[in-house]
Amino acid sequence: MTGRGRASLMVTCLGDLFFPEVGVSIVRLLQRLGVAVDVPPDQTCCGLPLFNSGYHAEAAAVAARTVALFEDSEHVVVPSGSCAWMVKHEYPGLLASTRLARQAREVSARTHEFSQFVVRELGVTEFTASVPGRVTYHDSCHLLRGLQESQSPRTLLGNLRGAEFVALPGADECCGFGGSFAVRLPEVSAQILAKKLANVEATGAGCLVACDAGCLMQMSGGLKRRKSGVRALHLAELLDGGRP
Amino acid sequence: MSTKAEFFARIRDQMRKTRGLFAASVATRPEHPALQADTIRRELAERWPETLEKFRREFERVGGVFYRVASVDDVPSVVGGIAREREARELVSWHSGVLGADLSHALEAAGLDVHEMPAAEAEDAASRERLRAIAARADLGLTGVDLAVAETGTLILMSGVGRPRSTSLLPPYHVAVFDRTALVESLHQVGVFLEAWHGDGAPPGTGAVINFITGPSRTADIELTLTRGVHGPREVHAIFVEGGIRG
Amino acid sequence: MRDVFLQEALTIATTKFIDLRREAFEDFPEGEALRDQARAIKEATLQRLDHHLETLVANIERLGGHVHYAATSEEARTIVVDIARRTGARMAVKSKSMATEEIHLNEALERAGVTPVETDLGEYIIQLAHERPSHIIAPAIHKTKGQVADLFSREFKRRVEADPEVLTKIARGELREKFLQADLGITGANFAVADTGTVVLVTNEGNGRMVTSLPRVHVAVMGVEKVVPSLTDLMVFLAILAKSATGQKLSVYTTLVRGPRRAGELEGPEEFHLVLLDNGRIAQLGGPLREALYCLRCGACLNVCPVYRQIGGHAYGYTYPGPIGILLTAMLEGSRSVKDLAHASSLCGACADACPVRIDIPRMLIELRREVREQQIAPWVERVAFKVLARVLMRPALYRLAAKAGRLLQRPFARDGAISRLPFCLGDWTSTRDLPAVASRTFQERWSARRDLPL
Repeated sequence: MTGRGRASLMVTCLGDLFFPEVGVSIVRLLQRLGVAVDVPPDQTCCGLPLFNSGYHAEAAAVAARTVALFEDSEHVVVPSGSCAWMVKHEYPGLLASTRLARQAREVSARTHEFSQFVVRELGVTEFTASVPGRVTYHDSCHLLRGLQESQSPRTLLGNLRGAEFVALPGADECCGFGGSFAVRLPEVSAQILAKKLANVEATGAGCLVACDAGCLMQMSGGLKRRKSGVRALHLAELLDGGRP
Repeated sequence: MSTKAEFFARIRDQMRKTRGLFAASVATRPEHPALQADTIRRELAERWPETLEKFRREFERVGGVFYRVASVDDVPSVVGGIAREREARELVSWHSGVLGADLSHALEAAGLDVHEMPAAEAEDAASRERLRAIAARADLGLTGVDLAVAETGTLILMSGVGRPRSTSLLPPYHVAVFDRTALVESLHQVGVFLEAWHGDGAPPGTGAVINFITGPSRTADIELTLTRGVHGPREVHAIFVEGGIRG
Repeated sequence: MRDVFLQEALTIATTKFIDLRREAFEDFPEGEALRDQARAIKEATLQRLDHHLETLVANIERLGGHVHYAATSEEARTIVVDIARRTGARMAVKSKSMATEEIHLNEALERAGVTPVETDLGEYIIQLAHERPSHIIAPAIHKTKGQVADLFSREFKRRVEADPEVLTKIARGELREKFLQADLGITGANFAVADTGTVVLVTNEGNGRMVTSLPRVHVAVMGVEKVVPSLTDLMVFLAILAKSATGQKLSVYTTLVRGPRRAGELEGPEEFHLVLLDNGRIAQLGGPLREALYCLRCGACLNVCPVYRQIGGHAYGYTYPGPIGILLTAMLEGSRSVKDLAHASSLCGACADACPVRIDIPRMLIELRREVREQQIAPWVERVAFKVLARVLMRPALYRLAAKAGRLLQRPFARDGAISRLPFCLGDWTSTRDLPAVASRTFQERWSARRDLPL
């Protein structure tokens, strides 16, 4: 495969700590596509949890260190729509009056959520993974509304061999994670989740796909508690041949 | 209470703090609304059948009942039919000069008790009370239409002498008579007419209210169940006179 | 949230409104451009608010109306009560007005011996129930028809059938009497056109027309931000307002009122008063919540909000519920009042998507959270937790240590990579969901060992 440039993986805190297999899948997939992947060391977090709770000075400090880590990257690939949104949407503003203002804008411009990178940057829409059974997709809020992306994941899922893609009713409705929201208003968060999972179960799908670690934590946590047969997977895991 | 000066001082103080969130402008008003309204009328005169058809569809969609008659002489029997089906007799009507045709005798012949609103100013509060009581008792209210808007199925009625608000509000059945000269296509065109009416200054007899009526009075406040005739009329009927009202 | 009927009613009603709104805009290709234009008109109007309000005032006065200026709720109440007293009003009929809810007008009128009668069916119902509205446009959405029948039975001292048609008919008869007898009509205003001095009411029932035509005196209470420069601007808003609220192309009645009754009119008030209301709005012209001043009070954001749809309007505890309600409460009562409410959102953004004038509500919720943080009024445990988090995220060595500590501490709780119960406040998550366990090797640990990554 001809070289498709370089990309740095921003693994994200939740991805690093709880879903390392997602990072592994992304690296494998991108390498197979001819992308040279590197992982800048000493990553922690994009700062979104601090930002969303109003700790903006602290979020700016985390943003600054993150920008420094990625300032030489040709592309930055992010497994979570919410983290990609944070970098693309908020980093320039947070660092506008610092000495990293220019780098922040550049890193922001070169950052992509995973499915956006594959489909829109690399122009790849098909993978060889063959997946039996029904698959459905949940639109995470930051990817859908923050990054205006609903098509790329669906394109990739639609082209999987064997899989039957079923639309999820209320796919664009929040799963109830919302970061600290899930523990500040746990009952409301759980009720929102229950509604989402009822919709998932109604599709008859064996596999629920999303592009955000927060959504996956919330939804897989709920599915496991219900002892549901449905597995929640990141898109990259499925494309990498992860069995539903 | 705050004086006007204090109030505006506070507004100006705050306005000084910012230039705003983004560069923005208001809508462009028509420079010569009366001329533009005339142009709209002329253009619509050529395609009134399509406009009427669109109006009928939208009007029926919001629950209106539509009729089409050849001449204004056919109107009283239609109204008579509406009244009979509802066992209604009392009809209050805009003044015939405002309606554009004198239908009172024919309506009475069709079995209705007709109370026409006067064209002149009511002399005193007692007369106003009496006339208002008539409207409150009436079963049917007969009006004309200033603009019939195809986009939304809306009837636009100005208030004024000989065309009181109550005629289209108090009786449970509202019957509106119109012809092709009232037809407009869109809300945008309505805006041009509103600007033109305002710009022309108010001719004598003009009232203070313009009402847009889009179907019968309704609510869904109880368990989202739609019910009609909450405070305003429970039915709206529109009779299109193909040959024109003023003949 | 325990109320099963409320839950069902909320779900049914909000789902219906969402579907109706979506259908209305699907059929309406010009809609997106009109939304952009409406947003621009709101912003442009605020940029010259003093000029437009001056023009409005001049035109209303030219028509024989009176304008009053209320900096606070209290001033607004006093103005209206004074008008009532001076005109000898004993009963006032009211058309639906969130502005008058906001200033708690009804209690003030009652104290002054003036009986306020709500005439919007939903408002009439909650008035009988001594409750506040739970939705901006459908105030009695939380009531069953059985509950409404009970209220009516008690009020009219006879057994009343729990059928919406029957109940509506009863309300029509009752309130018709009140319209005809009332001395005073009180409304809000959806818009006021500066160029012409026109006050615009958007209603479905006809009570707006009654209230502005039958009583001797009409008082309209209106937030300063509702002014629009021209009739042409007005049409842009009319084209999208009802569609956003209920999916209707237009509400049944759009009433353009220019001043008191003119010579020769049978109906219409002798006196017209417009009360311009500040109550925290003006301070936001130069403040962080300025964009919230674009709000048309359509309720679209409530209908799509996952939190509102679960908890309903009363749970917010203030006049205005839902996403915009949090911002309006901060505007009216100060940011301290929303130190918890500002977090009653998952920041999903559905509200901003649905808003006809594209108000970026999540952005301002985050801004309010920042203000709360600056004022240091969150519980100290939380402040410490975030400070610790910030430290850990700045130092990779601390971060790696925290991961190791997590792995250690979770041992008693983790089974097959999942944790189903955590002690203390951490149990907030695990009471209803499993939590994944911290991975035995984080991604970065695997990457640095490299040989663990099969390629």
